[in-house]
Amino acid sequence: MTTSTFTRTGLRPFRLPAGNALFLTSIVMVGIMVAAAAAASIIAPYDPDFVDLGNVLSDPTAAHWLGTDAAGRDTLSRMMFGARTSLLGPLLVVGLSTLLGIALGLLAGWFGGWIDSVLGRVFDLLFAFPALLLAILAVALFGKGLTAPVIAMIIAYTPYVARFVRSLVISERARPYVAAYRVQGFSGGWIAVRRVLPNVMPTVGAQSTLNFGYVLADLAALSFLGLGVQPPTADWGSMINDSRGALLSGQALPALVPAIAVVLVVIAVNVIGEELSDRIGGRLPS
Amino acid sequence: MTLLEISELTIDLAGGSASRLLDGMSLRVEAGETVGLVGESGSGKSLTARTVLGLLPAGARTGGSVLLDGTDMLRCSPGEALARRRGTVSMVFQDPRSGVNPVRRIGDFLTESLRLCHGWSRPDADKRALDLLRSVGLPRPESHLSQFPHELSGGMLQRVMIAGALTTSPRLLVCDEPTSALDVTTQAEIIAVLRQQQETRGMGMLFITHDLNLASALCDRVYVIHAGLIVEHGNARAVFANPQAEYTKRLIAATPSITSAVARPVLADANGPNPLDARVDAPDPRTPALEARGLTKTYSIRGAEDLRAVDDVSFSVEGGAALALVGESGSGKSTLARMLVGLERPDAGDILVDGVSRSKRPGGREERLGRARAVQIVFQDPYLSLDPRISAGSAIEDALRLHSPSRHADARARVLTLLDQVGLAAKHAQARPRTLSGGQRQRVAIARALAASPEVLVLDEATSALDVSVQAQVLDLIDEIRHERGLTLVFVSHDLAVVRRVCETTAVMRQGAVVESGATAELLEHPRHAYTRLLIDSIPKPGWSLDAIAR
Repeated sequence: MTTSTFTRTGLRPFRLPAGNALFLTSIVMVGIMVAAAAAASIIAPYDPDFVDLGNVLSDPTAAHWLGTDAAGRDTLSRMMFGARTSLLGPLLVVGLSTLLGIALGLLAGWFGGWIDSVLGRVFDLLFAFPALLLAILAVALFGKGLTAPVIAMIIAYTPYVARFVRSLVISERARPYVAAYRVQGFSGGWIAVRRVLPNVMPTVGAQSTLNFGYVLADLAALSFLGLGVQPPTADWGSMINDSRGALLSGQALPALVPAIAVVLVVIAVNVIGEELSDRIGGRLPS
Repeated sequence: MTLLEISELTIDLAGGSASRLLDGMSLRVEAGETVGLVGESGSGKSLTARTVLGLLPAGARTGGSVLLDGTDMLRCSPGEALARRRGTVSMVFQDPRSGVNPVRRIGDFLTESLRLCHGWSRPDADKRALDLLRSVGLPRPESHLSQFPHELSGGMLQRVMIAGALTTSPRLLVCDEPTSALDVTTQAEIIAVLRQQQETRGMGMLFITHDLNLASALCDRVYVIHAGLIVEHGNARAVFANPQAEYTKRLIAATPSITSAVARPVLADANGPNPLDARVDAPDPRTPALEARGLTKTYSIRGAEDLRAVDDVSFSVEGGAALALVGESGSGKSTLARMLVGLERPDAGDILVDGVSRSKRPGGREERLGRARAVQIVFQDPYLSLDPRISAGSAIEDALRLHSPSRHADARARVLTLLDQVGLAAKHAQARPRTLSGGQRQRVAIARALAASPEVLVLDEATSALDVSVQAQVLDLIDEIRHERGLTLVFVSHDLAVVRRVCETTAVMRQGAVVESGATAELLEHPRHAYTRLLIDSIPKPGWSLDAIAR
């Protein structure tokens, strides 16, 4: 139905902007992190797991730009490889929880009635468990690694997305343009999926961007607790954990670098999410 | 000294001559005089009103002068402007719901400026507020003081806002469309209150409106503003009886009136089939195109009595005829319209289109499409009834292809034909709703409704959100399409003058029931029901006797 002459685009707010330095910086920063993760095997100066006991806890040098950790592994290389697991986890969680949340939220918001009541009670139940607690439970049941916490996080975050989508769909459903589609004879399913959903998508997308930051911090915390990604695989959270001992012996760098990376990505993603929300908020008629 | 003297006022938004909002307008209000400022949306009339109070848009550059009792509101210090707003000038806004703080009590709203700006004690201020509430004709002033805005109706709240504007005994009252959001009978009451207050206090009043009839009924002198410029001014009666400027003439011609004759030939009159009816397969004349039998709809409201929105309404409309459903807000006319198109299910009664019952929930795709081809609707507000993401062409194309599956190229050609029929060009096919004007949007909505080739078209206040000149164009369009297609119309409206122009039969609704129905001209000239008479008397016109309405 879409052709070049009858264009319909809903992605205007996601176009690259001009003028907002903080927003641009954030996008560039996230871009660099993603690029480093993607190209880690090519550009990383060392094998991230190469142990050099003759050169432990070194300060930054020409050979090791960010120094080495307690096992003599190159911090920069571990940061690059660690970005893979640290970013992939949240990406999976956000992607899948958004998909699930949209489906459930649309169901609850569009049909209302008993479907809405049942889903609403299930969400209430899930809200009662903190995401981290749920993840720890999953690890206890299914073992350590990336999979169990990611699945637990998806379950924990889906209700948030679903509740948000539901509220958007309910307010959209009451608009006269939806009544107009009904009178024209379109089926309820078509209106919900083809017309209402695309109209709420930009707002949902912006909210999910914000979720990325929260999930990243949560997963890093799990790794820090030793419940997430297991050694020797590099991960920002577990890198901080590994370097606690180095902190005591006066070398802060191996713990500080991944900690700063987590903080920077969370802030950058929040800035991007806020900006997108603002733009979409300003675009939609009240 | 002249109370208000605006001379050669210009306002530009930062950005140069392209964004000139007011272009050298001059206006004068003497003490005790009522002056009307009449114009359509975007003419700069509200901007002028705000300038008088020293409320300018951010970044505006001004020229000329606005002398209020000798103080130039454009050049004076913010403190002086504030002093003027506290003592000399007050304003009544259009929408009382957004003009009164919803979380404060009426008493707080009325007394805060006296207590905070003029240092009155609470009891004194309350006493003053009571006097004011009494003088604007509110029924229970004592209890209103402790009520919240949501407990009052729109008309009552507008009286509160007027009382609020009068607390500081201003010498000039600026009213910006104070009755546009209200029913016609409520409007008459509010106007009576305003005029009475203006006379007893000897205030000057600057009355801003889009309604020529209202301005001529209320004002001593009027100014007609168009595109930031005064195009005509003079004695109110004289301007409307004998307009000089081209724009004023057009505006008066576009304003529907209940006294003017029906301009167009009536399609289906009593003298048999009309030759203009182009429909080939004309239905059996004994089967009405649309018939409603005992329609009833009741809403249950928690903690309140059930609301009978529509109460046993029956009517029938011949093929090609036009029926008007007239009533004020709460009369059930919109609920009735929504039942006709299937957006609400009646609790009792039946709807027949061409003899086929259409009141049940459609059973499947075929029934759903059949119902859509039976009745279509054009909603009141084209800003809300079009999907913001979908271009005009796509909206029409989707409806077309739903009802007659066809290749994209064919559908597209028919989209352009439909656009052409509603007076839009091919370039509008790509346009999204937000880039179109109100009139253009309503044309798109009409084209979209026509895409299903319905038997009956319901127009739910379809022109009441539009300016008079745009309304006239859209009414012409509706007339034209009706004649071309032999459409049966149900025209839901609060405006008797518009109804007179479009429909040959009219049913007057009140509290869910039809109180009177008949041929429109007959009904307007010889109303039998007291409510119909009240509606007609409430319509502003030159030489309007407000005493009759203010009982």
